[in-house]
Amino acid sequence: MRKVAIIGVGITPFKARYIDKTYFELAYDATKLALEDANNNGAEITHKDLESTVYGIYNELFERQFMPDIFANSYLGMNNKPGTRIATGGATGGYTVRMAYAEVASGLSDLCLCLGFEKCADCYDEQTGAATPEVLNSIAYSADMTYEYPMGVMAASSYVTMVNAHYEEFGNPTEEQMAYVSVKNHGNAILNPKAQAPMELTVEDVMNSRIICYPFKLLDCCLYSEASAALILAPEEKVRELGIEKPIWITGVGAANTDCFIGNREDMGRLYSNIFAAKSAYKMAGLDYDKIKQQIDLAELHDAFSGQEAISYEELGFVPFGQGGPWIEKSFEQSGEGPWLDGELPCCPSGGLIGCGHAVGATGIMSTGEAALQLRGDAGKHQVKSIEYGRAISHSIGGPGAAYAAVIVMANEEGLKKP
Amino acid sequence: MSKEKFEAHTIPDRISINYRYSYGGQSKFFIELMNNKKLLGTKCTKCGKVWMPPRINCSECYTPADWVEMKQTGVIMVSTIVWYTTSAFIKAIPYGVGFIKLDGADTSLLQGIFSENLVPSKIKKGRRVKAVFSKEREGKMTDFFFVPEEEYEKWINKPEYEGGV
Repeated sequence: MRKVAIIGVGITPFKARYIDKTYFELAYDATKLALEDANNNGAEITHKDLESTVYGIYNELFERQFMPDIFANSYLGMNNKPGTRIATGGATGGYTVRMAYAEVASGLSDLCLCLGFEKCADCYDEQTGAATPEVLNSIAYSADMTYEYPMGVMAASSYVTMVNAHYEEFGNPTEEQMAYVSVKNHGNAILNPKAQAPMELTVEDVMNSRIICYPFKLLDCCLYSEASAALILAPEEKVRELGIEKPIWITGVGAANTDCFIGNREDMGRLYSNIFAAKSAYKMAGLDYDKIKQQIDLAELHDAFSGQEAISYEELGFVPFGQGGPWIEKSFEQSGEGPWLDGELPCCPSGGLIGCGHAVGATGIMSTGEAALQLRGDAGKHQVKSIEYGRAISHSIGGPGAAYAAVIVMANEEGLKKP
Repeated sequence: MSKEKFEAHTIPDRISINYRYSYGGQSKFFIELMNNKKLLGTKCTKCGKVWMPPRINCSECYTPADWVEMKQTGVIMVSTIVWYTTSAFIKAIPYGVGFIKLDGADTSLLQGIFSENLVPSKIKKGRRVKAVFSKEREGKMTDFFFVPEEEYEKWINKPEYEGGV
């Protein structure tokens, strides 16, 4: 397989609603931003040079359009080129990066557009006069329609199951520990001008926010969002030919689907998909699951819910099982420790989903792009202090019971050389 | 685009599809639930794993599984109480849901857990529960739910519900 690099990143602001743009207009904005970024990074390309597109779009009901990729394809001027759509729930973005990587690594394309987008707030519930209940309903159709949808399940009640089972086993994450995740990610978002939910919060603020799904409270949950994010991927020879100044190499792509029926799992307090995706991505990148915290500079995690980020620290190998919640709690205001922005392994420096919002198909592409910008030193105000190893990961999960997961490992030029 | 003031044109709209959905090989579960208040699982003819919800083929052995009648008692493995939800269920809040391992099953079933006093401790892991059935059944998962064993008599004496077999 060929070596593949991210040469351009384009991310639109994440917003509650773009009343002034359709999904394909948002997709156009992110594509244009990614082309501009590639050109600032040494290239001289236009959309006409892009040879293929891999689309990450989660939900037809959000877009009010089945096969939305083909309409974006037209609007982006990508006619008569291959375009493939990926839809893997909340993990759509990460999986889309994986397939765009494969498009280039395999030699099928030399310049590939990896493009995610999502609308959602055109969904509207007449009875409550609000978008959210109808957005949640259009997501709930992703649950098993025979046995589980009729029980009133939704994203929060699905994720909370695993967090509650984890709590039963380890006594954590506690409600306070979950609140620290919310404090961190809303706080990091203050430094990210593209984030939807920048907030300076205390643990008490989170604990006092209204209950959504025991024990998740409003501020433990990410907001649904509208946005688009795009990456331009190229093989090594193209990177050299174009004279790319700061290529970010994709060195590992891992994905796994665990059982979508949580009740079939041996242990309900595990997101097995995370473990398998992380192990395979790290192995491909030549990294070690048990030492990963000392091998990467930052992680852009999929923090759909605070308690689930705390568990993900464990699944992704940052800390031993049962230590995720305590890791964030004990490191609060301890510079150089924990997952905080100035910590030993900053997690979600962008603000993640809780801080930025969750524009499903765009999210994992945004987080991969954010990690790439960090490794370039171009992240802006939320740039992490030091890039020591030159490596980062992005992480996407989704689907019923977080059945889908994808992990992407990236490295800058220095990171490629480090052990 | 020029800098003129933007005005969005929005319309109310709805996507609606009608089905005559077949439960296929799982149909027997729903027929027995509706007609006889029985809860059927399946047992793999090779490894003996008891699937609940049922599958007519074992996903691990790639062998057919036989129908088996399950006990209507079990234990809560994990649960939550929902206070904010989708447009389809928002009128029902708060409601309890959880995974219940029926006695003799190897997997757990997602179901509603009702209680006269719906607090987390009441529907915690390890609590014994028993199935209660609606008198008017349609062959859907909403035809039954679970209640803590000590509340069973109270629930089956309500006019709209009854006990199982």
